[in-house]
Amino acid sequence: MQTGQTSTHDTHDAHGAADHIHPPPEGFVAKYIFSLDHKVIGFQYFITALLMMMIAGSFAELIRLQLTDPKGAIMSNDTYNVMFSMHGTAMVWLMLIPMVTGALGNFVMPLQIGARDVAFPWLNMVSFWIFPVAAVILFSSLLFGGPHAGWTEYPPISLADGTAGALWCLAIFTIGISSTMTGLNFMVTIIKMRAPGMTWTRMPLFVWATFATALMNMFATVALSAAVGALFIEHVFNVPFFDATRGGSAVLYEHMFWFYSHPAVYIFIIPAFGIVSEVLPTFARKPIFGYKVIAFSSMAIALLSFTVWAHHMFPSGLAPWLQIPFMILTYAIGIPTGIKVFSWVATLWGGRIHYSTSMLYALGFLITFTFGGITGIFLASVPVDLHEHGTYFVVAHFHYVVGGGAVMGFLAAIPYWYPKATGRMMSERLGKLGFWLFFIGLNGTFLPMHWLGLEGMPRRYATYEYFAKAFPDAVFWNRFETAFSFLMVASVGLLVFNAIWSLRHGKIAGINPWGARTLEWTISSPPPYYNFKKIPQVYDRPYDFDKPLPYGNLDNQTEPFPEYGKVVMPVPTPAGA
Amino acid sequence: MAQQSASGPNVVQVKGLGPGFWQVTAVLTVLSLINAWYFLFGSIDWMMPGSAHPVADSTYNIDGLFKFMAVFGNAIMIFVGGYVIYFAIVFRARASDPPDTIGVQIHDAPKLEFWWVVLPTLLLIVLTWISIVVWYKIQFGPAVPALTTEVVGHQFYFEYRYPGLKTSVFSKTEPMHLPVGVPVRILITSADVLHQFWVPEIRLKAAAVPGLVQNLNFTPLQVGTYDIVCSEFCGIDHSKMQGKMIIEPVAAFNTWLSGEKKAAAAAAASGAVDLTSGTADAGKALFTQKCSACHQIAPFDQKLVGPGLLHVTDDPAHPALVDGKPPTPANIAEILSKGYTGPIGAMPSAQANGLSAADIANLTAYLASLK
Repeated sequence: MQTGQTSTHDTHDAHGAADHIHPPPEGFVAKYIFSLDHKVIGFQYFITALLMMMIAGSFAELIRLQLTDPKGAIMSNDTYNVMFSMHGTAMVWLMLIPMVTGALGNFVMPLQIGARDVAFPWLNMVSFWIFPVAAVILFSSLLFGGPHAGWTEYPPISLADGTAGALWCLAIFTIGISSTMTGLNFMVTIIKMRAPGMTWTRMPLFVWATFATALMNMFATVALSAAVGALFIEHVFNVPFFDATRGGSAVLYEHMFWFYSHPAVYIFIIPAFGIVSEVLPTFARKPIFGYKVIAFSSMAIALLSFTVWAHHMFPSGLAPWLQIPFMILTYAIGIPTGIKVFSWVATLWGGRIHYSTSMLYALGFLITFTFGGITGIFLASVPVDLHEHGTYFVVAHFHYVVGGGAVMGFLAAIPYWYPKATGRMMSERLGKLGFWLFFIGLNGTFLPMHWLGLEGMPRRYATYEYFAKAFPDAVFWNRFETAFSFLMVASVGLLVFNAIWSLRHGKIAGINPWGARTLEWTISSPPPYYNFKKIPQVYDRPYDFDKPLPYGNLDNQTEPFPEYGKVVMPVPTPAGA
Repeated sequence: MAQQSASGPNVVQVKGLGPGFWQVTAVLTVLSLINAWYFLFGSIDWMMPGSAHPVADSTYNIDGLFKFMAVFGNAIMIFVGGYVIYFAIVFRARASDPPDTIGVQIHDAPKLEFWWVVLPTLLLIVLTWISIVVWYKIQFGPAVPALTTEVVGHQFYFEYRYPGLKTSVFSKTEPMHLPVGVPVRILITSADVLHQFWVPEIRLKAAAVPGLVQNLNFTPLQVGTYDIVCSEFCGIDHSKMQGKMIIEPVAAFNTWLSGEKKAAAAAAASGAVDLTSGTADAGKALFTQKCSACHQIAPFDQKLVGPGLLHVTDDPAHPALVDGKPPTPANIAEILSKGYTGPIGAMPSAQANGLSAADIANLTAYLASLK
């Protein structure tokens, strides 16, 4: 690592006297383990998050298998409680957030803004390495019996988890540090390191989405850290923050938890919005409809997301008069979301639509996400929520939003950016088969949950003998859901196989296999570690297919760099300067 | 998808709004109307239990709201889903396209965008208004309900208390009784962890939170037996936490109630209390177990559910007990024994709290020792 370098601010000045580039890192460890390169870090996040998806997904399948019998088919109530707690925790913190911000944000965002790396590469490396540490802490809680109270770990019930509960708190606190640092890093990167000429309204929509996400990561995570920090102190030092018998308040934890965890939902979904906003224009061969509206609605959603948390708590001890403002604000956040959906549908109109795997996922996203959004409107109305709260209707709603929104979003992103990342195309045939398995599996699994919930089946039920007496069809529908859920398993299996197989056998991708127009498609696949030989000049938005590419300085970008020492990289030291 | 040719890309021409646009729109409109007709006039019992014969006024009100949302929400889904599929088919790329064919290059349509912001917003304003009207009835109900009962969540059963009674029904097997046609208020709290009291047929639930009392207001309309369900995760047997609610004619309810009253009176008569035998230390331990969910050892104003009890015998601002009697050990013991119901709240009797005569003596000794 060299010292005495120029600040990152000078990065744009590719022709200045200070031009030089560090030689590429040597050796396996520097290249692939403790790498400072945002692309490699993106890969590390991707592989780890995919592994977490398989682990958390297998917990989900155990849950589904248990529910094939009203008495509980395969495990004790106690084990079941651990399974659904670990499924939720691992999916949210170890899969979704690292996948959409860590993997996609890291790999794509700096390329799209024409930067050579993120603002603080060293911090980026640390952010990544905290994540597997948090995963190890979380899974080590299984050795002590595991957490039992769901991914929310509401006290007072979670206080009975003892050491496992304390480890859960520690894991969430740790991953929170990683999220906050990534948020800060991306925020600074987007503000300071855009290529010259890339004004805010010329940024690709995925960058807008990453920016909104970074804001939320930065400012919401502290509330979660405070909540789980206090819970940790209560576990370990017996300070009664949340124990009502000693003057604490159980509702306080819910407020602090949801003050983070509602924005968290948007932390996964807004990057998916960004992905869809990139994929739709590329494969419809059309400008995105309503660029500014989509960009600003991401920001509106990010800001409003801080004001709606208590809609998770309508029946849970909220002062009655507080329910109304939270209902109104929740409806308010539905408006920018609706506008986005309408704009995407309008983007399809008059296009020339190519059905790639990515496009299929984006079209599927439009249908399943809209459905999840509409059931959200049902849940936001206080009286109707008094019926639906805590039931399988809620489970169905958020699996449509998260599975049909965020997961479909990154499943669209993987075949889209895989050629850029590896230089080879994924198999379209396997990809399309994977899409249909996932789409059918998702709907078959989660659609029947709506009426199971409305009929009276609460979530987090290890057994449902009483409910099956009141509603005998419950047994059939639960088995139906379990059967369809395995289609999603098959789809993820295909994805993993496809990703590995295509590394060797995929078609060579070339610079721009999709005819896309954002900056990452102007450099070679995979990009050199310095990304851009010369920092490009940006003249316009990327989405006008009838015009030439709006970039300058593109000549010779893809030729090998003759000698290092000509390009300024962000300074890879802990201090960033 | 090749790079653009030098002559510029081949832009697709679309006549009007595209082939078949109005026919598709007509089909989607008809589907939406069928959906509206179904939710307004069809039976939705298969998803909302007892919708055809509402069990309570809240069932009727909340189902009305649900149907309103289903009519408009499903219509939005039908239109979005329908247009996505239709556009995806009609605007698909053809094999015969020249390699650089691109779609219509439009960026905006301000009029269209104006309407798709304004119409959903108006819809949400109407929805908010109806929601508030229904919410008000549930949260505040009639100023003086004809019957107020209490529910306390325990791991893993519900306890039902009738404050008009100097005792309460304390049982894992006995059902909750409510009279039909009378406005009732249910006060809900918890003795241990979070629970939720939910009767799916009545469409209402409230969390049982330790240290907090919530209320639900409704009028039962339909005689019958209904499930009470715990819908907040509360531990290993959460899925077995289940109760029954019997809604019965007023006469039958009154017969049941007076039977309970007689049984309670008989129980109270048999348990005389010898106050001299109590010790403050034993009382302190009991207080943590039995009382601290609702009372703290703190000044009167620091309420959990009931007042703080630090100065129960020597508070100049509150020289009398909550029942107006002087704070002598005998009067404290009387409240402990019989329970108390008044403007400040309700406290269960010794029978309901599982206190023996010796326990009452110990607690009284402890409370009298506080200064």
